[in-house]
Amino acid sequence: MSNEEPYAVVDGAAAMTVFEIYIKTTPERLWEAITDRETRARYSFGVEIRSDWTAGSAYESGVPGVIEIAAGENVEVDPPHRLVQTMTALWSDDVKAVGESRVIWEIEPVGSSCRLRVTHDGLPEGANSEVYGGWPMILSGLKTLLETGELLDTPGSLRYAGATEG
Amino acid sequence: MDGSEELDGVFRALADPTRRKLLDELFARDGRTLGELESELPMTRFGVMKHLRILEEAGLITTRRQGRSKLHFLNPVPIRLIHDRWVSKYAEPWAAGLSGLKSELETEPAEEESA
Repeated sequence: MSNEEPYAVVDGAAAMTVFEIYIKTTPERLWEAITDRETRARYSFGVEIRSDWTAGSAYESGVPGVIEIAAGENVEVDPPHRLVQTMTALWSDDVKAVGESRVIWEIEPVGSSCRLRVTHDGLPEGANSEVYGGWPMILSGLKTLLETGELLDTPGSLRYAGATEG
Repeated sequence: MDGSEELDGVFRALADPTRRKLLDELFARDGRTLGELESELPMTRFGVMKHLRILEEAGLITTRRQGRSKLHFLNPVPIRLIHDRWVSKYAEPWAAGLSGLKSELETEPAEEESA
C-alpha cells in the first residue's frame, strides 16, 4: 500500500502549518517588507528583526530592551523568492520549551499580485499553538501595510508598538 | 466599493454548513486526505471534493502533496482578514472590555485561595 509517512498531529495542531495570502505588490517590495528591520516592526506587533540576510547568518527578533521574541539561522536566502529559517521562540518559558522549528517563506508572482506562503514545520507533537498562531495576524498586517500604506490598529497588532519610545 | 471584494469568495464559502464542518475538521486535525475528510461526513466523495474545491478557491484551505497523498490544510488567514476588516471595528472595543472582566472574575478566587 502507500508508504506515506505518519503525520504527527496532536491537540488540534499538525506538526506542520501552512499559511497563504495574496498581496498586491511586487516580489521585491514583499521581500523588503519581510527582511527590513523597521518595516517588519510595523506589521509585527512592533517587533523588529535583525540580520545581515546572508545564507547561514543568524537573525534575532524582539523589542530591544523589552522582550526577545525569536532567534535562529537563515538557512536559505534567495531574494526575492525564498527564505528558509530555523526558529526558536523566546518570549516565554512555555514557547522556549517547544525548541527549534523551521519557517519557510515563498513568494510567487501571480498577475499583479504575489502569493506569499509561510510554512511553519518541524514543530514537535503537541507544540504550543502560540508559536505558530500569530502568523495570520502578521500576514494580515503585512497585506494592509503594502496595499494601503496603513497599519492595523487592532489591539493585538499594537502590542509592542512604541514600546521602545520614551 | 471598499476594496474588500476579494473577500466575497470567503463569505460565500463560509455560507454553507458542510464547508464550515470541513474547516472545523481541519482545525481539529490539520493536514488530512480526501478519504479521511470524507469519512467524517454523510456525503459522497464527489460532494466532499466539490466543497473542498470551493474552500480552496476561496483560499480557506491549501493542499500539499506528500508521497501519493494530497493533504488539505486549514488556511486561517482570510478569516483573520475578515476579522481585521470587519469584526475588530465593530466588536473589539467592548469585547476587549468583557474579556478583561472575565479574566478578572476568574483570577479573583485563585488569589483569595493563595492569600
